[in-house]
Amino acid sequence: MMRLRLVTALLASAAAFVAVSAQAQNLVTKDRVGPADAPKSFTLRLTNDGPTSTDPVWAEGYQKLFSEFIQRHPGWRIDLERMSDNIGQEQARMLEQAKSGQGPDCAAVDSFVLALFKGANVLKPLDEYFTKEEVADLFPFIREGITGPDGKIYAWWWNTDLRVLYRNKDIVPDAPKTWDELKAAAIASKDKGMEGVLFNGGRWEGTTFDWLANFWAQGGKLVDDKGKPIFAEGENREKFLKAVNYFKDLVDSGAAPKRVATIVNYDEFNAAAAAGTAALFIGGNWQYGQLKNTLEPEEFEKWTFSEIPGPTPDQRSTGTGGWTFGAFSSDPEKVAMCAAVIKEIYAGPGNALQQQLPTAAALYGKYDVFKTPANETFAKALVNGQARPGVPIYPEISNQIQIMMGDVLSGTKTPEAALDAANTAVQAAFARL
Amino acid sequence: MQTTQTAAMAISRRVAGPSLGRRLEANPFTWLVPVAVMLGVFYLYPIIDVFRLGLTNASLVGNEERYTLATIRAMFENPALVDILWTTFLFTFGSVVGQQVFGLAIALLVMRGERRKLPGMVALRTIVLIAWVIPGIANGLIWQMLFSEAPFGAINSVLRLMHISPVAWLSDPNMAMVSAVLSNVWRGTAFSMIVFYAALKAIDPTLYEAASVDGASGTQKLRFITLPQLRAAILVNSILVTIQTLNTFDAIISLTGGGPGRATEVLSLFTFNTVFRNYDLAGGSVLSVLMLAISLVLALVYASFLPRREASE
Repeated sequence: MMRLRLVTALLASAAAFVAVSAQAQNLVTKDRVGPADAPKSFTLRLTNDGPTSTDPVWAEGYQKLFSEFIQRHPGWRIDLERMSDNIGQEQARMLEQAKSGQGPDCAAVDSFVLALFKGANVLKPLDEYFTKEEVADLFPFIREGITGPDGKIYAWWWNTDLRVLYRNKDIVPDAPKTWDELKAAAIASKDKGMEGVLFNGGRWEGTTFDWLANFWAQGGKLVDDKGKPIFAEGENREKFLKAVNYFKDLVDSGAAPKRVATIVNYDEFNAAAAAGTAALFIGGNWQYGQLKNTLEPEEFEKWTFSEIPGPTPDQRSTGTGGWTFGAFSSDPEKVAMCAAVIKEIYAGPGNALQQQLPTAAALYGKYDVFKTPANETFAKALVNGQARPGVPIYPEISNQIQIMMGDVLSGTKTPEAALDAANTAVQAAFARL
Repeated sequence: MQTTQTAAMAISRRVAGPSLGRRLEANPFTWLVPVAVMLGVFYLYPIIDVFRLGLTNASLVGNEERYTLATIRAMFENPALVDILWTTFLFTFGSVVGQQVFGLAIALLVMRGERRKLPGMVALRTIVLIAWVIPGIANGLIWQMLFSEAPFGAINSVLRLMHISPVAWLSDPNMAMVSAVLSNVWRGTAFSMIVFYAALKAIDPTLYEAASVDGASGTQKLRFITLPQLRAAILVNSILVTIQTLNTFDAIISLTGGGPGRATEVLSLFTFNTVFRNYDLAGGSVLSVLMLAISLVLALVYASFLPRREASE
């Protein structure tokens, strides 16, 4: 009799477990979170950072986070929308939709176009959902990025990244702190059979973004407060040319190979590191994990990173990107749910799940994954972080810098002529905006 | 009585003519309307809208749309346009000539092989066709790996093994254009091969037999029989390959991104950049109309050389 009761209890427990699991599974589908017949719903437009992620670990992690979230908010359903990988097009389309009142209730907004959304007055303030302490804990460039001219916050920037100088310690023992030190270290590495220093120099956004650190380190400005391009005027022109000449000198002196003008992918650096042909490259923080997965443990041990060298040891900068969430809905309840998604799923748990750098100092102490020496160093470097100006003309500025870099590094144009051509094109495009 | 009624009905039907259904059935426009509607909605309307957008200041992020000629002026006054058009000409000319030459050469090789009943001719045709079915982006990525100037780049590694200096395939502006043309020719040759293979099959073999009897050499047969007989195929192929190449941007964007500088930025890539980087919908529309005009003019020029049927035929 006792045995029968035990078996019955076990079966009942198993059935209950299966039922609960199935329910949790059913709560998150490809296009919905929560019961289909929930009385209230809102739309959430995501990138790959969500329950439908192509990365199975991220997908599973987000399914769990979303499932727990919707159980804490009964009566709600989230209608999921997924952006394609063509982010530029997606964000432009979403801005058009939001302007005509057809946008999603809540959505992922790329940090470098956030200012366009703020300027179009389509985002709802999120101040009442975040404490002053939480806002104050954000890195300065993050806080500045999400704050509107009226002092209110219009989005929540939940993850970020930065660029650093990677080096093979066996070949380059000391971290170069200045441009001259980097050039000398790169030339010295060539004597040991290496290619010299590698960086993005082809026709793509990475070229502009990585190089801009050298311009920003001198205090250069691409646009004025009104968004007008001023990079070719006055002191900015000098700083701009100095930064261009620095890259040109790296190539002309042989410190960097000519092929940098063809590099349009960070993966090229991983490949060179794996092949043992490069000892120095300027890459993204996420590449540290990629190197760990790619290289043999004893090879990976040789690699480390440091801040991108500046013209002087005190003049440092690094480009920072990342993703934000913004609310477009006019319904305060939906805006509140959007803020809840940000706080309960993304800012913290999402960072830990994807190992993407949080934007608030407190989160680095909260999650073990960010307590590693590498992530602590990344966090310190974020103090010198600089975001791209979120103005409508930025994409064309970037395009022209890429063209200029190709022309200068391949010797087709002098830096001065290339800068003048870039400025002419940018000013013409600005006049048409 | 009944006979009289039936006859009266028949007469009245004859007087009233065939029913509406029959008349619609007999009218060719009835059958053409669905096709016309489909073409109108999915082809004609977008083209008309592109013309309309070119006359506005439309922007993906922009302000209120208004009609203006300033966009056309701005696009044509852009100092980069001349370089872009020259780059487009080089890329298109190199691709059209390369694809025709290699396509014809492979087609002749296959024909010769088949005539001699050599094994592996089907496999040869299939291998050539594989390049054709590869998407443009994948084609660009494949050639990017081959042309890589890294110490482990495929082609340069082979050259080093042969004690030949490595080539700056993509970092040198002139070589970058050669590399872009090479990758496009590799992909497009199969199409030309199919066109020429079909045309070669249609040539009357008695012409070659007669030439052999007259003692013509292989080169003479090619010059005086094959090429004249292929004239129509060459011209049609030229039209198709030119239009196809003018519209190519996926292979270039993944191979060079248009660089270094603007060395490989063709008109189609420039148009894409104008719309999706500058958010300039109107400017992109003007450039699209320009592409359409260039394609049409070239097609008409080629078509004027097409052999015409004699009036007596």
